[in-house]
Amino acid sequence: MTITTAAVRPSSRFTSSAVRALLFVLKARALVVLVALLVLFSWLAPAFLTANNFQILTKHVAIAAILAIGMTFVVLTGGIDLSVGSVAGLAGMLVGYLLTRGISLGGSPHILPVTACVLIAIAVSLLVGLLNGWLVSKAGVAPFIATLGTLYVARGAALLISNGKTFPNLGGVAAGQKTGFPALGQTFFLGLSMPVWTMLVLFAFAVIIARKTPLGRHIYAVGGNERAARLAGIRVPLVKLFTYVAASLCAALVGLIIASQLEAAHPATGESFELNAIAAVVLGGTSLMGGRGSVTDSLLGACVIGVLSDGLVMLGVSQFWQMVIKGTVIILAVAIDQLQTRVQARFLPLLLSAGAGGAE
Amino acid sequence: MSETPSSAILEARGIARRYPGTLALDHVDYRAYRGQVNVVIGENGAGKSTLMRILAGVEQPDEGQLFLDGRQVNLRSPREATRHGIAIVHQELSILPNLDLADNLFAGRELVRAGVLVDRALEEQRSRDVLQHLRSPMDVRTPAGHLSLGSRQIVEVARTLEQRAKLLILDEPTSALSNAEAESLFAVISELKRAGVTIIYISHRLNELLHIRDHFTVLRSGRVVGDASRSEVDRQWIVQRMSGRDISASEAKRPLAAAEKKPLLEVDSLTLSSSSDGNAEGVPVRGVSFALYEGEILGIYGLLGAGRSELLEAVAGSRPIRSGTIRLKGRLPAIGSVLDAVKAGIHLVPEDRQRDGLVPELSIRENMALSATGGIFLNPREETARAKQLVIDLNIRASDLELPVAALSGGNQQKVIIARCLMCSPSLLLLDEPTRGVDVGAKAEIYAILRRLAARGIGIIFTSSEIEETQCLADRALVLCQGRVAAVFDRKELTDEALFAAASPSVATTSTSHPGMVPA
Repeated sequence: MTITTAAVRPSSRFTSSAVRALLFVLKARALVVLVALLVLFSWLAPAFLTANNFQILTKHVAIAAILAIGMTFVVLTGGIDLSVGSVAGLAGMLVGYLLTRGISLGGSPHILPVTACVLIAIAVSLLVGLLNGWLVSKAGVAPFIATLGTLYVARGAALLISNGKTFPNLGGVAAGQKTGFPALGQTFFLGLSMPVWTMLVLFAFAVIIARKTPLGRHIYAVGGNERAARLAGIRVPLVKLFTYVAASLCAALVGLIIASQLEAAHPATGESFELNAIAAVVLGGTSLMGGRGSVTDSLLGACVIGVLSDGLVMLGVSQFWQMVIKGTVIILAVAIDQLQTRVQARFLPLLLSAGAGGAE
Repeated sequence: MSETPSSAILEARGIARRYPGTLALDHVDYRAYRGQVNVVIGENGAGKSTLMRILAGVEQPDEGQLFLDGRQVNLRSPREATRHGIAIVHQELSILPNLDLADNLFAGRELVRAGVLVDRALEEQRSRDVLQHLRSPMDVRTPAGHLSLGSRQIVEVARTLEQRAKLLILDEPTSALSNAEAESLFAVISELKRAGVTIIYISHRLNELLHIRDHFTVLRSGRVVGDASRSEVDRQWIVQRMSGRDISASEAKRPLAAAEKKPLLEVDSLTLSSSSDGNAEGVPVRGVSFALYEGEILGIYGLLGAGRSELLEAVAGSRPIRSGTIRLKGRLPAIGSVLDAVKAGIHLVPEDRQRDGLVPELSIRENMALSATGGIFLNPREETARAKQLVIDLNIRASDLELPVAALSGGNQQKVIIARCLMCSPSLLLLDEPTRGVDVGAKAEIYAILRRLAARGIGIIFTSSEIEETQCLADRALVLCQGRVAAVFDRKELTDEALFAAASPSVATTSTSHPGMVPA
């Protein structure tokens, strides 16, 4: 048989486009839900669509989204990172320590410039990511267990730094301290706050990595079929290591942003943030089995969660009901995800045969 | 049996089954004759499995009726089919590896005493009886996970027999079996036939069909295109009706390559470490030496567990080597990992496409480019161009390269993996069972592709458990037996007898019906 672009019956062409449309709606469900929520809240709460609320909303979304971006890569390889909340807390405490206590090099403590403090805090946080990556890809520890372990270790380390106390006044009020740290979380540029810019830059990088680089392709391949990826000559351990380091980087940035916004570092910062990040990723449609999903979807997922909790607050819904609603939305999202998979599997032969000669 | 031999036990009239966009079964009339082995054959996607799922109550037809013993029946669920005495052994075996053989035989319908307690003694007795009946004595306390694939298949058959099935459907039962194991399965089938069980046997392996035929039905594109009893059928008849065209095996032969050649690969006294992945069947390779010349196709033939796959995996860098050397083009590349092998130009097409080859979530194009991607940024334009060229070169039937690879048929999926290797311009291509789960038409195409590649100077090593395939494709054949080289044959020496004798262990038990147990 030779390749021929066989004539297609119009009827199958029609059903094919109907199926494609249905699949598109199912795939873009995070966007659909987001738009629906925005319309609903604007209608119910007049204060929702104000510039003031927009600032608050984007700040919430940015923090959730930064974590979700890093988490997406890990989840795409079929892993999970439970340690991101603790890493955020650790990064905040590290920068708090460096800004208020400084480093003592044989005698009097010396306080480094703010940039150096931030970079050191990030570098130390990345060690957690390296440890996660090493445990998962080289030591063969299941991702859930490895990162559950580092969740406790990093949180414990954060508490040990200050013996459980808060580092206040990171703004540089006290004499001898360098000022400028609050800029990270509080300055505005072109009407958007620094956290939002951070989120947008990370997002752009993540999309480029996922879609335009071999590394991104390899992340999907490892999540889709690790054995096949290995046999195709992909450096599977390196790919996994990258994803855990990326997740730690995002977590560290979140910790620094929060410390900067509050001008204080509290050791409990970021508790249960990992669950929010996973929720955003799953809501976006990334499969926890790996191999399927996208960074953009996770960003939308984070937006949905942010808008939902913000809107419910504005409507005066009690915090307890908020939790119930949030949980329900997550479960529904995953149920629709299953529906999409089934629809796709069912209509694949059709999509194939509608194109040309068909594979079967 | 009281009935005349030719009476139909099960009859399907005008069965139609639609999937969106395709008519899987186009008003099929089918009869299974009482007490006979009814063979159903057809290429992948011909509708065999759909028809069997309908007969076993797994799926319901859109149109048409089923008649069992002349009475119309509605089979709305597999349970209902079982109640009517229809049982099916699926391609994917449903053995519980952690339980022993007797437990497996009665899983889900345990024999009980006093209403609650499992009657182990009775279960063991009845297990022994039914296995005795099938002339396949096995220790009923063996954990099923320790059994060879062939023995597991026999356990499945025993289970259906123990349920008093009168009609047994076997869906491609030998696709994973060695010849010896298949032989014992055929012995079991004749036992069943003697016991009056009607059998519907689905396959697309031609050789075995001529062993166990009574009545043939050929499906193609959802229609019955041939229906005949054994006396009217020969090999040519089947192939013509299956494919709708005329491929004879001899057409596939190629002329012997020229004798003047440079060695491409030299393997010297290669011994592998014993497998640590918990695979009980992984017999390591011991002291294997051979050479491969440029443009040569070397076949590796052997029974299950002879070390075929392990040998290929070692050359491809995915299995640790204990001692021995592998030289490529006279040099000694350090092959410690798959990546090293890929860099040296050695590519493996694995035996199990679904498990080791394809990334189902990625598109056809992305799967093809998987080994070739490197650097900082992807180059989608070049990738698409090269993928399109390979689609034409390898005649991959896909309408859109952006569709998920899982949508392709087995033969086209296999070509996608070959295309993945070709994207890296390999010097040595290793193929583990290159045509497993591939229909007859695609099989011939894959042979042709491999010959074209060899003509370009690429060295090709393939393994096969089919004598016919080895004869058809190989310039030379290396026969492995229990991890050692048993013989090396030139093309003209490749006879059925020679290959089979060399592959069988010296204490030959293969001709008896005793299913080989693999040492744990």
